[in-house]
Amino acid sequence: MKLDPRSRLLLIVLLTTLAVLSEDVGNLMIVAGAAIGAGILCRISFLDAAKRLKHFLSLILFIAVVQSLTVKGGDILVHIGKVQLLTSRGIGFALEFVLRMSVILMAGLIASTAEGSEMTDGLLKLRMPYELAFMSAIALRYLPVFRDEFANRIKAIALRGIDIKKLSLWTKLKLYGYLITPAILGAMQKSEELARALNARGFRAFKKRTMLRELKLSYKDWIVMITALVFTAVFLIRMYTCGALLVL
Amino acid sequence: MLIELENLTFSYQKRLPPVLCGLNAVFESRGIALLTGANGSGKTTLANLILGILKPCAGSIKLDGKNAVKMSPGARANRIGYLFQNPDLQLFAPTVEEELSFPFELSKTLTEEKKALLKELIKKFGLSGMETRFPLGLSGGEKQRLALAALLSKGVEYLILDEPTSALDAGSKEDLIHFINDFSKNNGVLVMSHDEDLADALEDKRVLRLEGGRLYEA
Repeated sequence: MKLDPRSRLLLIVLLTTLAVLSEDVGNLMIVAGAAIGAGILCRISFLDAAKRLKHFLSLILFIAVVQSLTVKGGDILVHIGKVQLLTSRGIGFALEFVLRMSVILMAGLIASTAEGSEMTDGLLKLRMPYELAFMSAIALRYLPVFRDEFANRIKAIALRGIDIKKLSLWTKLKLYGYLITPAILGAMQKSEELARALNARGFRAFKKRTMLRELKLSYKDWIVMITALVFTAVFLIRMYTCGALLVL
Repeated sequence: MLIELENLTFSYQKRLPPVLCGLNAVFESRGIALLTGANGSGKTTLANLILGILKPCAGSIKLDGKNAVKMSPGARANRIGYLFQNPDLQLFAPTVEEELSFPFELSKTLTEEKKALLKELIKKFGLSGMETRFPLGLSGGEKQRLALAALLSKGVEYLILDEPTSALDAGSKEDLIHFINDFSKNNGVLVMSHDEDLADALEDKRVLRLEGGRLYEA
């Protein structure tokens, strides 16, 4: 289903808010379920997403394992003598972390389904000033630029005959030190070029703007937005009455 | 160093048609091979395959008769030097001097002999007096000379130059042509370029054209 960018923005805001406010595993599982539903609605390919985010997913799992081993409390599940290795509280913490991060990642994936200037158009329709909407769109576009800048330099390092995998941790850190300055400089250079290109094309030359595509909310968008808002309201009230709301 | 391509095929995505389709070629250990082809014809992809940055979908690459599949990009780079179209991408260190020395410092192989060689390279490539300058602050021609010096400091036997004249003025271009002609007397050079002036000035070259994923001898 092709949703309007405003519907997607609302889903992103609601999902991330619920992920941050939910405290226990049960509630987070419900939010994660809703996030998967939203992902299916936005036609996200979960297999492709898992491949793209494999390094990030491994990092999340690593942090979860560290949390489960370091957070103590609750029932002791595994121990060596008097040393507690795994406790029910540690496992709960790790599960909460994994679920919360999964929802946030899903929100990111929903944002990434936007094509070209769709999100900017959506933000403009929500009455955000053009400069701010454009800046946020450019910032999103800039992340892969910075990633490519760093990846190219890693490749160039390998082409200088340095086998990064074989280096010790300390040498690797030293090497990354070498990479950071040119990578930041390269990214800054690209942003200056972008600014020059924008000026050359008359960015903000006229106060009034027109749009090539006019966004219109379809009945599907209304259904999704109303369902999402009702779900969030009911969920927050339920959490509040059960005392499971993190902030309120 | 002899580079042999046998039925080399590569595609960026399985669903898409291959960028390179069953290439067969031999790049001799001495002399110049000039590779031409339209933008997007796969010249840089071919270089990345030879250097081990990309892995072929089918076929093989042999370096001096040995299958290169198991060689890491780092190991290949000790024998094949690759000059990027934009040398900014291959300069890292805070000074010109360190730019040449840091790979040896990292591998703890910076001997007195090496230091002397690096000084010689600085002189040979016209970088004397710039030893303490920031590499990314040099002019386009100087950056390219520094990148070349850095490649040669490893004692490479083969050079791959990707559009080497795209950012050079007439004087720097002439210096580069002189260097390529000189280097190719004892080593192999693969030049990927559209520059007709460069093509005309290269001596005893073999011209190849990449088109539709296939390689043609011109």
